[in-house]
Amino acid sequence: MVSIKKQNKTGKQCKQSDFCPRVAEWTWKPLEKLSVAFKQSLFCSRLEMRKARAGGDDEAVRQNGSSSRRRTDQHPGDGEDHDSSSGGVQDDDDDNDLGLRREIRSKYRDLINSVQQNREDMLSPSNNKLTEVLEEANKLFKDVRQAREAALDAQLLVVATDLGKEKASQLFSEGSAFDPTAFAEHLLSFMGLNRLEDEDDEPPNGCAGDGYLPKDAWHRLARRAECCFRTAPSFHYMMGSFYTEPPPPKQRIERQRKAPSKEAKRIMPTQLKKMEESHQEATEKEVERILGYLKSYYQDDPSPISYYEFVIDPNSFSRTVENIFHTSFLIRDGLARLKLDSDKLPCIEPVEEGELEAAGSFSRKQCIVSISPKIWRELIDVFEIKETIIQPPETQSE
Amino acid sequence: MTQRKRLSNVQNSSQSKRQSNSFMTQEEDEDATFTQPSTSQVQRGLEKLTPAQVDQKTAEVVQYILVKDQKKIPVRRADLVKHVVKDYRTVYPEIIKRAMRTFEQVFGLKLVEIDSKNHMYVLVNNLDASTARPSPVERPSNPKMGLLFVILSVIFMKGGVVRENLIWNTLKKLRVDPGQRHEEFGDVRKVITDEFVRQRYLEYVRIPHTEPVEYEFRWGQRSDMEVSRAQILEFMGQLHEQDPRSWTQQYREAHSAATASSSQASSSNHR
Repeated sequence: MVSIKKQNKTGKQCKQSDFCPRVAEWTWKPLEKLSVAFKQSLFCSRLEMRKARAGGDDEAVRQNGSSSRRRTDQHPGDGEDHDSSSGGVQDDDDDNDLGLRREIRSKYRDLINSVQQNREDMLSPSNNKLTEVLEEANKLFKDVRQAREAALDAQLLVVATDLGKEKASQLFSEGSAFDPTAFAEHLLSFMGLNRLEDEDDEPPNGCAGDGYLPKDAWHRLARRAECCFRTAPSFHYMMGSFYTEPPPPKQRIERQRKAPSKEAKRIMPTQLKKMEESHQEATEKEVERILGYLKSYYQDDPSPISYYEFVIDPNSFSRTVENIFHTSFLIRDGLARLKLDSDKLPCIEPVEEGELEAAGSFSRKQCIVSISPKIWRELIDVFEIKETIIQPPETQSE
Repeated sequence: MTQRKRLSNVQNSSQSKRQSNSFMTQEEDEDATFTQPSTSQVQRGLEKLTPAQVDQKTAEVVQYILVKDQKKIPVRRADLVKHVVKDYRTVYPEIIKRAMRTFEQVFGLKLVEIDSKNHMYVLVNNLDASTARPSPVERPSNPKMGLLFVILSVIFMKGGVVRENLIWNTLKKLRVDPGQRHEEFGDVRKVITDEFVRQRYLEYVRIPHTEPVEYEFRWGQRSDMEVSRAQILEFMGQLHEQDPRSWTQQYREAHSAATASSSQASSSNHR
């Protein structure tokens, strides 16, 4: 940069040499990476330009006439006719021509933009657009007098050499070339693409082309690719580990369930109690009623009553069983007494009021009474029981 | 195992001096909180500790690395020292050496330092995958490996560096669009430019002097260790029904395996 300034101050043209001082040291490094062939072509073109200019303006015009167009065009690598022909315009007069300065700067910027925008285009090995850009830059450079323009020129050169490096890297592959598009096609076939004809329903992953990729397409590829990887298997416990997530939801569910069930329970007990009370009442009433029968019978005839005659109801087996059940309460409570008479048959008699307390001190004897319909009929026949002593209850609430 | 270790400790005490010496000279210490202890410090530290204690610490380090490697993100030495080694930092080289040995002998894995500047370790399978028989345990395959494989193959076949646009275009042809949510991979751009880069499978580097900003992809340090270029070339040959040798440049690169991997590793460090 400094050397350029000096030259411009003296107003001399830049000297011709193989190694143009424009190519400042800090742009040389990218160039080093270019292939030799490309480097040579780059400098050859520069040398030619310089020789051509030295030789006369006409040659320069002829060389670039075909590619030159209007300045307003964005087409890459183009400059204006009158610039190349203005080989004679030089020196101190231009230093102060602001219009020309601006023009040069804007042209440089155009060139830089064109290189950046049309990168793909320039990279294509089929054209020499990059060389044309550089030739254009060469032409512009001879009018450069100030540092600003030189800076733009250097920037253009950096961009161009980056592109050049990439272009050179395209020369990298010897042997057969690798085409990513073909690769993609082969991969799709490998992954099991169903190349159906387009029907009415759109394929779910159809952004490009036809065909339907199966769900496990990538899994298939991953499995095949596993042999290329030396991945360490991930560490995991064989039996898994404790889960930390489920408990919170479970608690919520439990709480929700508890609330209705409590209410239900609250309802239930009241109902049940009523039921139980009715049961108990019924039983107690029955027991008392039977006690009444027993006492009234005993009053008529103060001898012990045959147990069987007392409880059996010849009309109904089930009522007989109920009678036995209720009678057992009387005996349990000490309100009646069972004993064996002279015939070894059980008989029942009520306990006197005064003997009630003493009854509690008696040792308790327990026995289990069992009866079956057959026995019941036998008893009826043996004892010739015609009618029941204990009348059936009026309300049939069971 | 511990008995064997104690015996080998006694036998290799002289060897360990030599080894930790070479270990020392290789790496410069960049870690502000941890300074690599000198050989004599290590020796003194070992004298103060019982073999059982050192074995215990080694086992903890092994377990820490195994769990950390589940996500495939490299283990940093600073984290290792801060969370596991702690007071035993004076004998850190010895512990690491033993841990490496444990990995190799017990698990068939290799603990490799992929970044000697920032001191990061990864676990790599020591067994050769291509000759290994199919695993007796049915392991579900990870579709992201398929995606990674595609990207790595393209980069390799294109010479080692590729502009991001080429990758995106190739993936679009495979119905993977970085702009859309993919049903298998989700946010594709994030997986590729963030997850794979953090796992060191890929490098995503900005290209200088581009406007608008563009990036390029290269193989990451982990890929250099884990992925076999020769195998990729084999698969290429199968897919394209060509002889792998027809890609002479890539073939040469793939089969100069030892030099290729080390040169790749060193050049990537210099970048």
